[in-house]
Amino acid sequence: MTTQLPPGIQLEKVDDRIMTLNVGPQHPGSGHMRLIIKVDGDYIVSCDPDPGYVHRGEEKMAEYRNYIQNIPHLERPVIHDSSNILYPYCLATEELLGIEVPERAKYIRVIAAELNRCIYTLYWLAIYGIFLGHSTMFMWPAGDRELFIDLLEAMSGARVTHAYLVPGGVRNDLPANFEERCLRQVDYFEKRIKEYQAIFYKNPLLISRTEGTGVLSRTDAIRLGTTGSVLRASGVNFDIRKKEPYDVYENLDFETVVMKEGDSYARSYVPYLEMFESCRIIRDAIRKMPKSGSVRTKLKPNPKGGNDEVYKRVESGRGALGYYIVSNNRPEPYRVKISVGSFRNLICMPYLLKGELLGNMPAVYWSLNYWPVEADR
Amino acid sequence: MSTAGGIIRALNSGVKHLAIRRFTLRYPEQKLKFVGDGFQFNPDTGVGIAGLRGRHILYHEHCTGCQLCSVACEGIAEAIGMVKVNETWKQNKKAIMPQIDYGKCVFCGLCVDACPFYALYMTNDYELSSFTKSALIYTPAQLGIKPKISQDVEIKIDDRGATHG
Repeated sequence: MTTQLPPGIQLEKVDDRIMTLNVGPQHPGSGHMRLIIKVDGDYIVSCDPDPGYVHRGEEKMAEYRNYIQNIPHLERPVIHDSSNILYPYCLATEELLGIEVPERAKYIRVIAAELNRCIYTLYWLAIYGIFLGHSTMFMWPAGDRELFIDLLEAMSGARVTHAYLVPGGVRNDLPANFEERCLRQVDYFEKRIKEYQAIFYKNPLLISRTEGTGVLSRTDAIRLGTTGSVLRASGVNFDIRKKEPYDVYENLDFETVVMKEGDSYARSYVPYLEMFESCRIIRDAIRKMPKSGSVRTKLKPNPKGGNDEVYKRVESGRGALGYYIVSNNRPEPYRVKISVGSFRNLICMPYLLKGELLGNMPAVYWSLNYWPVEADR
Repeated sequence: MSTAGGIIRALNSGVKHLAIRRFTLRYPEQKLKFVGDGFQFNPDTGVGIAGLRGRHILYHEHCTGCQLCSVACEGIAEAIGMVKVNETWKQNKKAIMPQIDYGKCVFCGLCVDACPFYALYMTNDYELSSFTKSALIYTPAQLGIKPKISQDVEIKIDDRGATHG
């Protein structure tokens, strides 16, 4: 006996060998998104990522608020990396409104962005540790993160959602003795993250789970349009801070971290090595920063952008992060489009997980540097 | 053999930490010290003064009831509403002052940026929890009181690691 189905609807053919697993969307360690995984025994046959559970309509909200009022809500998608998600917005708005940024403000913005990149990377590393069952690696980065949160709190006055970068510079000048305090904590931080080598990165248990799993070749990485640490772990030397330097990155001394392997281990190791480069940038920026001067260009109330459109992008903790802003002679932008690294890296997941063990799924998944809230915006 | 060696090295690096002082803060007894008296704003230069963005403080003698803080909060949190006060100030003819709902406030501090009369600043007070929603709404009289706070613990870094106090 067959049931009559409405036209155009077919029943899925069921294969007894294949089982479908829904990983998520209720935060099983995946963030608020779902992975529809089909397994044959212990091996993944196919994986279909299903994002969109934390869509907040940030882009639409931005059309109803003026350029300054947009700041607090645009940093919400990634509260751990809030300076970096505001950075391209500020760069684009400055170009739209024709604002010059003071030299000292540019250096302060770079310091805030690099501190925030370290905070994000440590949070990501803590989750990577707990995904692989390594609870010490959850506690250590979560504790060391406090050093940089403390610095940003002194700079901006808030622990996570800083709202520190604004079009025209930064909200306030650095507090007294900030430079010494920052250098002392960066020195200690560098000493501290060197200890992660023995307990995590040189740990045979981590290596056995991540080395050779989810290999993304150089050509595939370019073809799929990945960005950030995923791209650099596959042997492509691409960092927006070097290739399209914004603010004062061209004056600062740092190198791009590139690894050739393209497996989960390389993808988890590149952000770690980038933290050392971030420390280098912070030291260099503090040395080269003008010791006094203005930090913010005063804006007119309700500034209006002309009939213009701007696209600006920066290197965030997760890869290229760009804002496309269209304005039409009004205090509010006509359209804001946020192009995020997380969403671009998500597309690799079906390619990387095919043929992997189900137990290695978290190791591959979180190494993609994917942040569900940012991808949904 | 190298696998066993690696595991022993990993364990060793953790065991060393038994001799290192704890990093965590004993919160209700110890409180972290902040820079300055809270986030303030200098409208002449258009630049803020660094400090924690905690609960607001309202200087009644400066407030003119111009509603710019309330306008700035529209579209962000809509936490600020203007209410009538039973006070007579020469500069405040309408006798209205801001009332802030901390159930909605996101502590972005843009209202402090917006105030042109040095009337609204933020303080180091961040302990605002209450048992009812209505207790989170601070009237102008409550906002005028300077908070009593004791925050003295700082991050200390020495050879034996970083610690709080």
